[in-house]
Amino acid sequence: MGRYIRLTGLMMKNCLIREMQFKTNFLVRLLTEFMWLGMQFIYIGVIYGQTNSIVGWSMWQMVVLAGTNHVITQLFEALFYDNCIRLTDQIRQGDLDFNLIKPINTQFLVSLRYTDYSSIANSTIGLGVIIFALNKLSVTVGWGDAFLFAALVVNSVLIYYTMLFTLSVWTFWIGRSNNLMELYWQFGQFSRYPGDIYPWLIRAMLKTVIPMLIVSNFPAGVLIHKLESGWIFYGFAMGISFLIFTVWIWQKGLQRYRSASS
Amino acid sequence: MSTAAATISKTPFHKYWVILSTRTQEDMAYRANYVFGAIFRFLPLVTLIFLWYAVYQARKAGGGDLTIRGMTFQDMITYNVLMYVARGFSSVPGTTSDISKDIKDGLLNRYLIKPINYLWYQVMYRLAHKLVFWYVALFTFPPIFFLMRHYFSHTPTLLEWGTFVISLFTAFSIGMLFCSIIGMLAFWFLEISTFLFVIMMIEFFLSGQMIPLNILPASMQPFLTFSPFGYEGYWPCMILMGKVPQTQLPQLLGIGFLWVGVFYLISLVIWKMGLKRYSAVGG
Repeated sequence: MGRYIRLTGLMMKNCLIREMQFKTNFLVRLLTEFMWLGMQFIYIGVIYGQTNSIVGWSMWQMVVLAGTNHVITQLFEALFYDNCIRLTDQIRQGDLDFNLIKPINTQFLVSLRYTDYSSIANSTIGLGVIIFALNKLSVTVGWGDAFLFAALVVNSVLIYYTMLFTLSVWTFWIGRSNNLMELYWQFGQFSRYPGDIYPWLIRAMLKTVIPMLIVSNFPAGVLIHKLESGWIFYGFAMGISFLIFTVWIWQKGLQRYRSASS
Repeated sequence: MSTAAATISKTPFHKYWVILSTRTQEDMAYRANYVFGAIFRFLPLVTLIFLWYAVYQARKAGGGDLTIRGMTFQDMITYNVLMYVARGFSSVPGTTSDISKDIKDGLLNRYLIKPINYLWYQVMYRLAHKLVFWYVALFTFPPIFFLMRHYFSHTPTLLEWGTFVISLFTAFSIGMLFCSIIGMLAFWFLEISTFLFVIMMIEFFLSGQMIPLNILPASMQPFLTFSPFGYEGYWPCMILMGKVPQTQLPQLLGIGFLWVGVFYLISLVIWKMGLKRYSAVGG
């Protein structure tokens, strides 16, 4: 275990050194994500220009949700997104060999190798948005809720990871999967708005097979008291099950790996 | 060579025809990739429908107006469905990054020594993409449109159909030329990929893909009418929905053509100036 923690630290340090060599790049990426967040607020602003409440959600509650979603997607992109994209290339081009021969769990290595620091910085902006919106709502969050929120955010990041990692592993079977990656963006759409806007069937699907409502809606729900406690356990249980599933599918996929030029 | 190609081979267009047909065949090999993308592309519609439904329901419950700037709930959904058609013409993914990469890495050399015009080569390349895209869409769009038929409340007149088709041509031209111009900025700036993202977002917003432009503040409307980006999405949709008064149609088409002309000239000038700066690295 200590070995894995030490290695994670080393990989993150290595990425930080690389990042510091391209400072403008870092700043521009910070700016673009900031703009994207701004555009989402314009969208929320336009929608709430038409009505005061949507399925019982006020504008600032919606902003809490958008902020939460931003924190989660940015943390996911910081830790896993690049790695999953790289994984599909490695599988297709047979470059996985270099990782397979290293004396460490390969899934761990390929999943956490690269860290994107601009996304980490961006997630703190999301946190600022949440605090601002909670202030507007005059909601005070106790330590218990804050801890629960943090745990559910981690859980959400892991759910995103399990989904995208599974899509990447698919490459073992189908050889090419650019469009599968696009699914991340398409599915991400579902976690941006309150689950209550959907009819029960879609809502049920988004809590089970495509668990996009466990992401964002659950942690934000804790902050604005819109989540019943039973769901919290369910959310964690789903996160853990999906994580176990990725370990299984990764092993299955590896059996199909053909390596390079052989 | 097919008969159609044989007839064309006598004309100067022959070489571009060859580019178009080989590129199309190449893309057809990956049509499974396209089909997959084509189906899941419609996923965001699910969210849009229910979100706007909730908005209109809330207005109804509050005793408010059932239209937003003249658009009913049905209109709002129709708009978003038609946007897929408009974007099927105006979006040319990869153009900007391909052109800037060719310039940056000196790959442009291999085109410069050939008796073809690089920009026309790019147009043919993208046209091939669009052909395969629409070939696949021929199977994926109709079921979606059939499912959504209850939302379409307006039957377009012949004039609206005609204007719509012309506006799609304008949409493709503006999209193609704009992306080429941005890509050619690589003659001057080495790293444009990050800057590109900002431009794409502005285009995304101003073309009305996020929100119908008429919902934006009234003070922005004159600017939005004259901006080229509305012609990449917003106007084609509004024309077919019958939301543009007949008298305004010629003016709209005119401004669209004007932008195509302006962008075409800019692209020629930038190409000329750029080539003088071009250093053919690694050539």
